[in-house]
Amino acid sequence: MPKAGYTYSFDHAHLLGIEGLHPLDITHILDLADRYADATRAGQRADPVLTGRTVVNLFFENSTRTMSSFEIAAKRLGADVINMPVAHSSVKKGETLIDTAMTLNAMKPDVLVIRHSASGGAKLLSRKVDCAVINAGDGTHEHPTQGLLDTLTIRRTKGRIEGLKVVICGDIAHSRVARSTTMALHLLGAEVHLCGPRTLLPPGTDTWGAASATTDFDAALKGADIVMMLRLQLERMDGAFLPSRREYFRYFGLTADRLALALPDATVMHPGPMNRGIEIESAIADGPRSVITEQVEMGVAVREAVLDLLAGTRT
Amino acid sequence: MSLSIHNARLLDPATGMDEPGAIFIDKGKIRDIAKGQSGPHKDARDSLDAGGLCLAPGLIDLRVKTGEPGDEQKETLATASRAAVAGGVTSFVVMPDTRPTLDDVALVRFITERARETAKARIYPSGALTVGLNGEQMAEIGLMADAGAVLFTNGDVPVPNASIMKRAMAYAASRGALVMSRPDDRALSASGVMNAGAFAARAGLSGMPVEAEWIGAARDVMLAESTGCRLLLDQVSTARTLEIVAEARARGAKVHATVAAHTLFFNERDVGDYLTYCKVNPPFRDEETRQGLIDALKRGEIDAVVSAHDPQPPEEKRLPFGEAAFGAAGLETTLAALMSLVNDAGLPLLDALAAVTSGPADLLGLPQGRLKPGAPADLILFNPGKPWLCDREHLRSRSTNSPFDGRRLQGRVMRTLVGGETVFEFAAS
Repeated sequence: MPKAGYTYSFDHAHLLGIEGLHPLDITHILDLADRYADATRAGQRADPVLTGRTVVNLFFENSTRTMSSFEIAAKRLGADVINMPVAHSSVKKGETLIDTAMTLNAMKPDVLVIRHSASGGAKLLSRKVDCAVINAGDGTHEHPTQGLLDTLTIRRTKGRIEGLKVVICGDIAHSRVARSTTMALHLLGAEVHLCGPRTLLPPGTDTWGAASATTDFDAALKGADIVMMLRLQLERMDGAFLPSRREYFRYFGLTADRLALALPDATVMHPGPMNRGIEIESAIADGPRSVITEQVEMGVAVREAVLDLLAGTRT
Repeated sequence: MSLSIHNARLLDPATGMDEPGAIFIDKGKIRDIAKGQSGPHKDARDSLDAGGLCLAPGLIDLRVKTGEPGDEQKETLATASRAAVAGGVTSFVVMPDTRPTLDDVALVRFITERARETAKARIYPSGALTVGLNGEQMAEIGLMADAGAVLFTNGDVPVPNASIMKRAMAYAASRGALVMSRPDDRALSASGVMNAGAFAARAGLSGMPVEAEWIGAARDVMLAESTGCRLLLDQVSTARTLEIVAEARARGAKVHATVAAHTLFFNERDVGDYLTYCKVNPPFRDEETRQGLIDALKRGEIDAVVSAHDPQPPEEKRLPFGEAAFGAAGLETTLAALMSLVNDAGLPLLDALAAVTSGPADLLGLPQGRLKPGAPADLILFNPGKPWLCDREHLRSRSTNSPFDGRRLQGRVMRTLVGGETVFEFAAS
């Protein structure tokens, strides 16, 4: 008896956000990223599927970590990589972004990786260029490769996504990671609970797929499989959105005592860079339950997979 | 150590009780209330014949300033507590605008400790809503609440920026904290020294218009609605402000209001010939407005009456009206001011007492402020009709800047108990 089969193809021109992806798309990216991660761990060289392709990293916000991750991923697949860190102060938003896009488009790159401080920046760019656009973070909107790498890290650690209880704690309001990760995990069947001070918890998180949003971290932690801490930007502390660092740590810092409220085998995550002693205790960040360095490793694998799917020669 | 007080008129505003009877106190708490009983309670070791005096819960005052720490020449926690118990006030909240500002856990603990060591009444610290009351940086609301701060306020000058106020209220709401705010648009009122109107104009004094209060109240009430924060409007001075409160409450907002006792007693004309003892903020309004507030109190629209005790030494008051400090001593005259409304304006006695006992107790979630077995035995024995002449020389506060100075008043506390212990007894001078 022949099996009923189906063919799948990743038919997106860009990766602008998790929103708009089908659970199958996500699974497909993760499966491919899994293979890239395994190959790298085994010391094997990846197929040079991006040979002759040009990838431009267009970063309007400084981010050494994310830019390096994209650069390494692209180079592993044989691409030519141009890094364009555009100083934020020299950019006058809107029109300049489009001008930059038109200029770059005339040089015919194959992939534009963009980070911009304005929400919707990647989308705007994608309308003006002929190549594939990867959103590496747009304002407080989305950071899809982060959402994917978090999901991949969890899948590799726990063996599944469906049915897991995930708690994401911190500055939810200003976090593009919270949005992308919540959506990705929700699409694959996890139960995502968001937690943070009231001033940093926006309304309508249920439309992202979050199961709940609460200011009570201790209550949220009960039965959690995954605890993900977000970075608190310094400018949000010290009175503007929160009273102080120590008060934040008192109610929302991840300590050993607090982690004991989650399941005994709960995994700790953080998208980095960390504020040790503010959102997370060093002993936890460096402890056996932390997969923070694996997240960085999976970041490269996920970006290899995304670059492959959008611009690889085999597709 | 057990005590029975008999032959008393028991007044409990929380339940509406107004009956003769006896009360039995043991280990600092009310153990039993024997309605209708004329003799001492059977279990009591000591007994006291009240001689038919009113027995009510001690007053709870939500707004008191002392000078401790930083301005002890004005008042200390100890001197304020002496004045308090003489006025029947057994619990009070101190404002955070001291030097340094009460914006830190250590200072909240300092007040609690100093009060325990030196004061005759129970003293509760409030916390600053913003650091140094600067109106910009949120203070450590959660940590201070955990350390015992019972409410959070920016003091006399409200947070000017609505966005910062909203965030502070949203944050306070998430920690279950009560925010107290002066409804005042400073852009309209900051240059004023008394109620705006014809009287101020003729006196050549700049005025504080009622709209400043309405606009400030509307802002904070709407923010309370959108953030879910419990809000207490501090020292409302017009009935129209209470309408703003009532509307929001009807929509489910947790909004409450206090009125200063002297605002119910005086009107703008009492400023008279530039009497700086009558310079307070909010200012004494016109007579129609004062009557409107009394009517609102009768309708139960005012959650609590406060003394707004704000002692100022002579060097702050012996100045031209415009240059003198705002503020009036009030701990010893709150009850008499309310009794004047009972005796002259038809305010029911139990309603008057509710605004200074069960009303404020409910706002703070305190067990006292009621005659109930298990409640702390913070009690007053008073004569609601006893006439007396208020002479500032005899006031117990360290600063005696009272607008009641020289006034004939009715209603006098004869004995005050805190935790079952007598801390004040009236001695005819």
